[in-house]
Amino acid sequence: MAHEFINKCVVIKDLHYSVKDNTWVRVNEDGTVTIGMTDIAQSLAGPILHAKSKKIGVVRKKGRPIATVESGKWVGPVKSPITGEIVAVNEALLEDVKVINRSPYQDGWIVKMKPSDMEVEMAELLTGDDAVDAYRAKIEEDGVTCTHIEGSDEYE
Amino acid sequence: MEDELEGKKILVIQTHGVDTPTRTYSPLYYAVAAAAMEMEVMVWFTMNGTNQLRKGEAEKVELVPGSGTTLKTMLEMCLDNEVELKVCQQSLTLWDMTEDDLIEGVGILGATSIIDLALNYDHVMYF
Repeated sequence: MAHEFINKCVVIKDLHYSVKDNTWVRVNEDGTVTIGMTDIAQSLAGPILHAKSKKIGVVRKKGRPIATVESGKWVGPVKSPITGEIVAVNEALLEDVKVINRSPYQDGWIVKMKPSDMEVEMAELLTGDDAVDAYRAKIEEDGVTCTHIEGSDEYE
Repeated sequence: MEDELEGKKILVIQTHGVDTPTRTYSPLYYAVAAAAMEMEVMVWFTMNGTNQLRKGEAEKVELVPGSGTTLKTMLEMCLDNEVELKVCQQSLTLWDMTEDDLIEGVGILGATSIIDLALNYDHVMYF
């Protein structure tokens, strides 16, 4: 999985990012998309204590919350990077919410959605080197260094 | 249930200030949580709650030593999540403050407004 490290923050190059909201989108073969928080987002939040996703069937416009996430020092929405219907929520978060910290790009995904305007909205997200460059600028500007709790996914 | 929560209006009354940091954190945290749940939220600062809005004060109050999270962090989190921050005009006078002393993003309302707000919001949380 091609990736870059920026101040210990992992950016996966084949995902599509809303850099402003620190969310990522993965396009699935069945036409749905998987959405999650970035490594930067989980680092800023710190160890997550609770996550509550919207329910399956809920239609969200881009920018509206698909979940709320709480840590000891942070609480806030996970804003949807696209418009669409929630078709799956990550049940694993109910058992062990810190999977968001340990595996933000894999097991810690938040919801899957069926996009309603994918072509237009995906073009507004950043991917590849463009995403890396945008995150490099943001991370340096904000002075962020990512932290990873025990058991986190490892990238070579 | 979930859909019924969205759009509800919550008024949080913050009376705790920089002199009691451990009592300031939760009201602001709850306000952000409610906003994240898509409720319309206002925090009303009055009595001792007013003094955290004076420029330069909130950043001095670290909630857990070494955490880097200050009262300013919480106030900024409120504003980032579109929580309205309003302060009581009469309380400003109590603390010898004027509009120029306030951090950005805070509005001033008179005492009669709080009565209207309390009647018009779905729920009032008083701290």
